[in-house]
Amino acid sequence: MSTKITGKQQVEDLLNKYDNFLFDCDGVIWLDNALLPYVIETLQMLRSHGKQLIFVTNNSTKSRDDYVDKFAKFGLTILKKEVFGSAYASAIYAKNIIKLPTEKKIWIMGGKGLEVEFNEAGYQTLGGSSMPELDKELDLSDSNDPINKIDPAVGAVVVGLDTHMNYHRLAVTLQYLRNPEVVYIATNIDATYPANGIILPGAGSVVDSASSCSQRTPVSCGKPSKGMMDAIVEAHGIDKSRSIMVGDRLNTDMKFGSSNGLDTLLVLTGIETEEAMRALDQSSQPTYYAAKLGDLFELHH
Amino acid sequence: MSIKVTSKEMVQELLDNYDNFLFDCDGVIWLDTTLLPKVLETLDMLRALGKRLIFVTNNSTKTRDEFVAKFASFGLKINREDVFGSSYASAIFAKDILKLPQDQKIWIVGDKGLEKEFKEAGYKTIGGTKMPELDEPLDLKNKDDPIYHLDPQVGAAVVGMDTKINYHRLAVTLQYLLKPNVVYIATNIDSTYPANGMVLPGEGTLVQAAAYCSQKKPYSCGKPSKSLIDVIVKTHGIDKNRSIMIGDNLNTDMKFGLDNGLETMLVMTGIGSEEALNALEETKQPTYFADKLGDLYELMESR
Repeated sequence: MSTKITGKQQVEDLLNKYDNFLFDCDGVIWLDNALLPYVIETLQMLRSHGKQLIFVTNNSTKSRDDYVDKFAKFGLTILKKEVFGSAYASAIYAKNIIKLPTEKKIWIMGGKGLEVEFNEAGYQTLGGSSMPELDKELDLSDSNDPINKIDPAVGAVVVGLDTHMNYHRLAVTLQYLRNPEVVYIATNIDATYPANGIILPGAGSVVDSASSCSQRTPVSCGKPSKGMMDAIVEAHGIDKSRSIMVGDRLNTDMKFGSSNGLDTLLVLTGIETEEAMRALDQSSQPTYYAAKLGDLFELHH
Repeated sequence: MSIKVTSKEMVQELLDNYDNFLFDCDGVIWLDTTLLPKVLETLDMLRALGKRLIFVTNNSTKTRDEFVAKFASFGLKINREDVFGSSYASAIFAKDILKLPQDQKIWIVGDKGLEKEFKEAGYKTIGGTKMPELDEPLDLKNKDDPIYHLDPQVGAAVVGMDTKINYHRLAVTLQYLLKPNVVYIATNIDSTYPANGMVLPGEGTLVQAAAYCSQKKPYSCGKPSKSLIDVIVKTHGIDKNRSIMIGDNLNTDMKFGLDNGLETMLVMTGIGSEEALNALEETKQPTYFADKLGDLYELMESR
């Protein structure tokens, strides 16, 4: 049965039990471009108690540097190594887990963040934001159309949220995926995400369209995958039994925690409701829940 | 075990057993814009013997009139009632099976062919080819973006082939599909189709992307759906026991026949292969197979 955080003692319990606090960002730290209430104070309180803060986001459109900047704009200094975005997780997966040689190129269907992270990992990327000719309609009769210039050096296709996704990009991506030797990686499989009060197609929808026409299933690198947790543990040497995952989404954040051996705290400032959480069977419920992250500060003072 | 049609006697057996011949088009009658060998002679032969010819295609970009014109360009005269494209199938499904009231509008992801078939069925369509502003990237900060101006009269979202599909169109389609009263119709669910020697994303890929983000399952109207055979039977009054479906695609054409009580014949001039055929378990194999449709004529003319 999930415990609601409603008093100072419960916050004390959290501070005693956990050294490492992993946070989702959208719906936990901020909502679009608005910082959520008392988040800075909460994070500063945790830092002053010597806690390790790690930010784990499935948003694949931004690089880690972009996140450092976003936090800085809100008045919080974080280190690059404290951020794990799904774009970074995918690059690490390609490099350290499947050990894709760096002379292999990466075909990207996604945003700049994905390109930056793969470039930093030592790979040359194609597609993505670097091929404006893909904004035009597919023309099979044009010998210069990228679909007629498939690069044999491509060793992996990486698909993430792509707000420039279109038929042309999908068609070229399909050609690469039809080669069984090309590895297929997805940054994450969130079907939707909230923005500006509406629900938009998430990376999962872009991934699903590529999976559907290629009849291939990707390795998914974001929450709730084990690969992402392994990368975090390796980078920070954290003790999972003294770590807690704080998030707003049951099927990514909470699942990420519970299926990888972490306790969990669900905040209700994002996509989930108390009703949806209570409707879960006991074993699927988060360890704790709270109205918002900022309650940790407010209740403690 | 599928029987290969290799002799005059076997062709005669087909002619004796079946009155109605249903044909897929791509990979059976033509390949892109090239008529396949001896197809006209085969169809003329069947017509001369009093056989009914019906053409059933999952291509959602053309209207029935456009298919009639394509056949005419190859020298074959057919009537619009003889051809069932997946756009027509979808419009008829909405009108006669779902009985969607005609004051409800249709949100279209697709081309002119799809819009025309729904218009002919009496519906007003929005989206489709009529909103060039959707070519621009989605701009959440723009109050005039179509995503903020959903039409409350939309009763169905129909997804077919749309080479202009993009994130913006998908995002707006998602808004309509999230409304509980909006029905989701797919022209067909072919995940790919062959063109110019290449494999390209099909309607099914677009349908699936919208289904995934909305969690709404579509009604699929093309092969192999039951609703399509029901429309054909209703239009032509055919006896399914004396009908055969001829196609090149195991997942659509052959399944269409198998699931709906028609005998089947697979031809190898399109996407199907003898290897794929032999890999199927016995109960799923087509009744017959042949190298090409034109063999029916050539074998009858032999000896």
